[in-house]
Order: sequence, then C-alpha cells, then structure tokens
Amino acid sequence: MSLFKKVIDGVYNLLLGLKVTSLRLPERAVTLQYPDERWEMPERSRGIVVLLSDKETGKLNCTACLLCQKACPTAAITIEREKGEDKKWHLTSFTVDNTICCFCGLCEEACNFSALKMATKYEFSVYDQSELVFDMKKLQELGRDVPYTPRPKKKKPVVKKPAPAEPAADEMKPKAEPEKETESKPEPEAETKPEAASGDLFDDAKKEPESNPESGAEPAQKENKPDSSEDKKPEAQE
Amino acid sequence: MELEKLFAFFGDLLAQIGLTGVALTVVVNVLVAAMLLGVLAVMALFLVWWERKVSAHIQDRLGPMRVGWHGSLQTLADGVKLLQKEDITPTNADRPVFFWAPVIVYSSCFMAYVTIPWGKGLIPADLNIGILYIIAITTFTVISLLMAGWGSNNKWALLGGMRSAAQIISYEVPLTLSILGVVMLAGSLSMQTIVAGQQEIWNWYIWRQPLGFLIYIIAATAEVNRTPFDLPEAEQELVAGFNVEYSGMKFAMFFLAEFLNMFTVSAIATTLFLGGWNGPILPSWMWFIGKTLAVVFVLMWIRWTYPRLRVDHLMEFAWKWLLPLAFLNLVLTGIGYELWQRIFG
Repeated sequence: MSLFKKVIDGVYNLLLGLKVTSLRLPERAVTLQYPDERWEMPERSRGIVVLLSDKETGKLNCTACLLCQKACPTAAITIEREKGEDKKWHLTSFTVDNTICCFCGLCEEACNFSALKMATKYEFSVYDQSELVFDMKKLQELGRDVPYTPRPKKKKPVVKKPAPAEPAADEMKPKAEPEKETESKPEPEAETKPEAASGDLFDDAKKEPESNPESGAEPAQKENKPDSSEDKKPEAQE
Repeated sequence: MELEKLFAFFGDLLAQIGLTGVALTVVVNVLVAAMLLGVLAVMALFLVWWERKVSAHIQDRLGPMRVGWHGSLQTLADGVKLLQKEDITPTNADRPVFFWAPVIVYSSCFMAYVTIPWGKGLIPADLNIGILYIIAITTFTVISLLMAGWGSNNKWALLGGMRSAAQIISYEVPLTLSILGVVMLAGSLSMQTIVAGQQEIWNWYIWRQPLGFLIYIIAATAEVNRTPFDLPEAEQELVAGFNVEYSGMKFAMFFLAEFLNMFTVSAIATTLFLGGWNGPILPSWMWFIGKTLAVVFVLMWIRWTYPRLRVDHLMEFAWKWLLPLAFLNLVLTGIGYELWQRIFG
C-alpha cells in the first residue's frame, strides 16, 4: 500500500515540478540587456568622484580646504593649492586616483561646499591604468551635468567670518543640541525627542541657513552630515 | 504548399531528361539525401536555439538576443566559430577510433530518417520493417559514444562512454517493448501503415497506449541522454562526459547529433502515438513537424524542470520499474486487443 502511495506521491510531485516551470515560462524576463539598457542609478549611488561647478559662473565650488583629502582613507585625492591675492586658497590641481579610490564617499561627506560628489557614473574602463588618474579638468568635465543642490549659506558670511567665526564655532559645539530643542519646541511633533529623530534633523535642515551662517569651519561639518542626507531624501522619493 | 506535388513535378522533370532505371534511382536518392541533410541541419540549428530560449524563459532570462532576431542566428554563428577552431587530437588518443566516433554518431542519427514519414507520401523509403530499422540504427549511437569515450584516452570521457553504454542498453529494452504495443495494434512495422491507422484524433494510438506512450517518452529521454538521464555527460561529475576531448567541428557533430536524436525520438513518438502527419486543413508535413516540435518542447520542459538521477537509481528505474511496466503494457494490449476483436470485431 505504501508503495502505491509513494508512486502516486512521486508522480504528483513530478507534475508539480512541471507546473512550476510552466508558470515561469510566460513570465517576463528580468534580464537587463546591459550595454543597450542600463539601470537608472539612484541619485545617491556612489560612482565616480566628480568636481561640481557653480551653475551660473561655471567655476568650481571647491575652496581648496583640503577636508576631502584628509578624509580620504586611501589617499586617492591629491590637492595642490596656492594663496591668491585675495588671501584665499585657490586650487591649482585636484587629482583623483581611481585605481586606489574605494568609493566610500567620505570625501563627499567631508565637503562643506558642494564641491565634490560621487556621481552615478560607474563605467570608466580604460586600456592603461594611468588613464584612471583623473585631473581637475577631467573631473570638472565629468561633474558638469551632475545635478546637485548647492548649500544655501556660505557666500555672504564669508567676509565676516574671521572675527566671529572662532567664538561662534566654539559656542556651536556645546550648544548644538540645546539649540535644536529650543528651536523645535514650538512644533508639537518635534517635542518628543527620542522617537522623532529624523523629524528633528529635518527641521534643523530647514532652519540651518539662519542658525549657523558662519559655519565655514569644522564644527559645522558635523551638522552638515545629517543635513545633507536628509536634504536629499525627499527629492529622491519624488 | 503541397510538397508531394512539388516532388512529383521534379520526378517528371527527371524522367523527361531521359534518366531511367538505376540512374534515376541514384539521382533521386542523392537528391532526397541532400534535401534531408539540409532540412536536418537547419532543424538542428533551430532546436539548439529553441532549447536555449526555452531554458532561458523558464529561468526568467532572455537567452541569446544578439545575433539576428532574438538571437535566431546564434547557433549559426556558433557553428561558424566551431568551424574555425583548431581540431585537436589528444596525444595518446586512439586515432582512428577518435576520428570515426563523431562521424558514426552523426550518420547513425541521420540514417534513422530513412523511414521517418514527413508527410503524406513524403518518406525516403517506406521499409516494411520501418520501426525495427529505426531501433536498430539508433542503437549505433551507443557504439559511437563508447568509441568516443575509449578513443579519447581520458578518464572522464571513458566514464561517460561507459555510463552511456549501460544507460542506453538498459533503456533500449523498455523502449522497444513500449513500441511493440503500437506494432501489435497496427499489425505492421511499416511507418506509413502505422500512420494510416490513426486518421482521426480519437484513433491516435496514445489513447489506446497511454502507458506505452509514457514509457516511450521516459525511455526515449534516457536514450538521447537528456536530463534527468544525462549521466553520460554530467557536467558536474564528468566535465563533459564522452565528448570532453573533442573540439571544433567534431564537437559540433556530437552536439548537433544530440539534438537531431532528440528530434528523431520525438518524430517516432509523433508517428507511433500522435497520428503522424494526419491532420486537417494544413499540409501533412506541417502537421508532422508541428507535432514533433510539440513533443520536443515537452522534452525540453522536462529537462529544465528535473534534476539528474543517481546512477543506481537510473538502473533501478529501468530494470525494476519501466521493464515490468512495459511487459504489463504488452500483456494488457494483447488481452485488450483480443477482447475487442471478440466483442466488436
């Protein structure tokens, strides 16, 4: 008896297998015909590093602050700069060695001036390794059409900076937390701190232009990190 | 599109030229052979492409897409590539055996088409022992696979050849016995007579021989070394089995022969169980090819569904299951036929 049951079970399962594969047959293939089609990369995907330029003037946003160079764990970024007559640093060369770049995105996070970004471009095969060392021109060229949201602050306060920058920056460090709370209190939602972490930050991002206009130096960088991430999310979702 | 009229026209043409007797026979046969060769070559190319497409779509892939419409010329491109490849013979190979194996495998599967009825009157030679001839000829495959395995002087190839010999000989028995049921009903070994016995769809032998059909399909799958019975060329165990040392055009011959064998067993299944070229409206050869391709599709479907059997299971299945079932089928057919004759005849 059990033998018959086994046989029937076996035949049933074999037919079940055929059913599964036959249901797969008319389904749409998931294959992407790669060189002809490409995935649309999400805006925040970490492709090649590019230098961004101001959309109106066409000049590079980079202020040669070296933050990205310091942040780079593999030392793929090499910056050379010189002091101009206006006592500001000017880039003379900006090189990214893509053979050692690990695409971690720390340089983008370090940058306070929307000067560089990890673009969505991920195909840059070449015949010779040396072609993978991109200089300033090439990086600017690659970043020409990369969309980005420029930071809404720095231009005006730059002049006032030298005097109030230091004390302001010092104040910011300890006061960063309380300041947020005081500002967000009026809104009932943000009042409950622990659960509304993201809402908190988002509020912060909106108010930032007023709250820390002097932020050219390091302290602001810490605040900009969450700022930049939250800044872009809504756009990407749209 | 009635091909038989076309052939009749050409026959008249040859007669008008003044060919008679032996010369006419030779010329006609050579022409038929050339035509078959062409059709079968195209069919093999198509089957390779189709198999890749079916497998791809079962796995939610696209398969070949580059060469031609949806990759339809892909096998042609592969064939051209294989033609250009170096023809390597291993140093310690048994040279004549190694050389003749692909020739024999291809010619044996080609020879089976002598008695396959492509349509009404479209049969190269309607032998009165047609099906017996096919069974005898297709068994040549075993010899050639053994030759390939032995001649290569390679462990994998030898194992593959031995496995294929054991497998094909084992499955030959239930295969033949399952065919015998149909032969008993038709009362003839001739392919055209068998087809003529199944004019209408309810006359098809599959309704009177369901068990026989099932056994035939299973045994035929094993016969042509297809998954789930592809032990002779089990990639994971034997690299490529008996054809591991073959390259270039010799490999291509094995490959095409494999697909042609699949077409052969499907054509036999069509002829014996599915009414052959009988069918309404469309010309008979279209019915034959359509039905055969449907059977081929079932074989492909099976291949891309089931995993491979273990060697001992394979043998057990042939000798302990298929063989008794085939005998049972034979006995039931005999009793049923006799009863039918007594009651209705």
